Amino acid sequence: MKVLIGIVATPEDERLFILDKGKPVLTAVNGKHPEETFGNYSILKQHLSKINDEPMKGPGVFKFRYGPVTAGVREAGCFYLYTYGEKILRATIDISWKQREIAKAMVDKSPETALTMAERICSNFALSHSVAFSRAVEMAVDISPSLQTKNWRTLLIESERIYNHLYVIYKLASAAAQKVLAAHLSALFEEALRLNERLSGSRYLMNINSLGKLNHIPEISNIEKIANKYLAVAKQFTELYKHSLKNYNYLDRLHSAGTLTAEQAEGLGLTGPTLRACGVVDDLNDTTEHLISLPVITQKEGDALARMEVRAEEIVNSCHYLADHLRASDSWYDATEKDVKSHNANGTGYAVVNSPSGAMGYYVEVNDNKMQRVDIFTPSYPGMYAVSQGLEDLIFTDFPFVFESFGVHFADAAI
Amino acid sequence: MIRWWPVFGLKRRLTEKKEYISPVDLRQPKTGIFNRSLFVYIIDVGSSNALNFEISALESPQYNIHRFGIFLTDSPRHADVLLILGRPVTKMLEPLKETISQLPKPFYTVTIDDHPDQPGLNEYPELPNHIAALTGVPSPDKILGLLLDIAKTKRKES
Repeated sequence: MKVLIGIVATPEDERLFILDKGKPVLTAVNGKHPEETFGNYSILKQHLSKINDEPMKGPGVFKFRYGPVTAGVREAGCFYLYTYGEKILRATIDISWKQREIAKAMVDKSPETALTMAERICSNFALSHSVAFSRAVEMAVDISPSLQTKNWRTLLIESERIYNHLYVIYKLASAAAQKVLAAHLSALFEEALRLNERLSGSRYLMNINSLGKLNHIPEISNIEKIANKYLAVAKQFTELYKHSLKNYNYLDRLHSAGTLTAEQAEGLGLTGPTLRACGVVDDLNDTTEHLISLPVITQKEGDALARMEVRAEEIVNSCHYLADHLRASDSWYDATEKDVKSHNANGTGYAVVNSPSGAMGYYVEVNDNKMQRVDIFTPSYPGMYAVSQGLEDLIFTDFPFVFESFGVHFADAAI
Repeated sequence: MIRWWPVFGLKRRLTEKKEYISPVDLRQPKTGIFNRSLFVYIIDVGSSNALNFEISALESPQYNIHRFGIFLTDSPRHADVLLILGRPVTKMLEPLKETISQLPKPFYTVTIDDHPDQPGLNEYPELPNHIAALTGVPSPDKILGLLLDIAKTKRKES
């Protein structure tokens, strides 16, 4: 399976950043017509800050603005909804309210400073950004991280997946007015953040990853307790999830909301739970360099319910995966960890990481130990197109189910 | 068969009883008017999203903020405190000023600058009744400690 992650363009040429069977590759366009192969080529090429911005006219049709200051969407982002009363005819999404130009600000900074900035693009994906950036820079300057570093990165990405997925399902339950379910899920979400802190020193797994190594190795003496806590989270979540699947009020709200077909999802360049919820088995797990791959969870319906179900199963799998590997982590100790050195001061690198919401890609150029160029490709940008498409022809009360179920964030889309 | 939610997990005691300490001192004397309840409106002006997640975590049963009479409100017109997340991007300066103009008096503003050294963001405009300024990503118990200080409520479970 080939997915177009991004386009690396200069005035002279254009290269396609592709994930090919789980391996990131960079290929020149060379007169080919990539728009015929990749449906998302024009989306990435234009990279608009106003998504699906085509005015709509008709009898009684009007447009109103939702955001950037609204309790419904807490982040600074804005929707322009076209309607004649109840049905959403078109949804334009303006991501420019969160535009911070971080990628541009990284230029001329040292890789270490730029790494800190990458973590702050969207802090709930801090580790995915950090690992994708690190891997790209490590490729550019020829650094080989130890097995210990690679393994810990993989585990920490799974902890990031757990709390992000819990957050999405908690928000869906809140939107469906499932107060008891939402309260228990939010308690688990807080528990997952506390486990992150015990594991890494940061609730958002920040400042633990570094170039070629980890800033600190999690405290081994606590590992057994943390592993047991993850198993307890899996057990409590499974109990809640099974209970929620018997509640038809809840399921009916999610069913058929924001449905995408596999063709639509692939055409938008979606990856991660959103694509898998359409029945597509993706290769994102293969971006993991080591340890045993997790099973790929899929559903067929492609709606908010299917996306929730994919995330729910991934939470349980990730908790068990973490518990199993945490217990084995003392065998990863590597004395060479501190001696990691770069062999080049210049180079080009690229990497893709399996973030909680899909493929996170970085392309970097390093010159004389300074960042020359940084291109960032996040899952939330194509995800915003999917939200816009998913909202069409739905009624307003379906809005939160569609938006929350995609797990996208304005901070991640507007870099 | 539809299972009945209200009894689910009823025996679990999730709410924690502990002392919540504010990480900063208040910049202004308190009015005392918010002793019984404090309504907070959240505005994100350019945060990295960790603060939005922390506010969601603050709503979890472990903190149970309603027991202290603290509520998050959906409109600035119902708010006693405007909690400003992040340092503003240029485009959010006007919405921020507009939101402040909608607050009923008396009110306080609180800022949390999650990444003070982040380039590309603006300084805060002049904020009326700016009672507290936090930096970094404070955990929910610290945010709750600050809100309790503003509300002048007893710090332990009421």
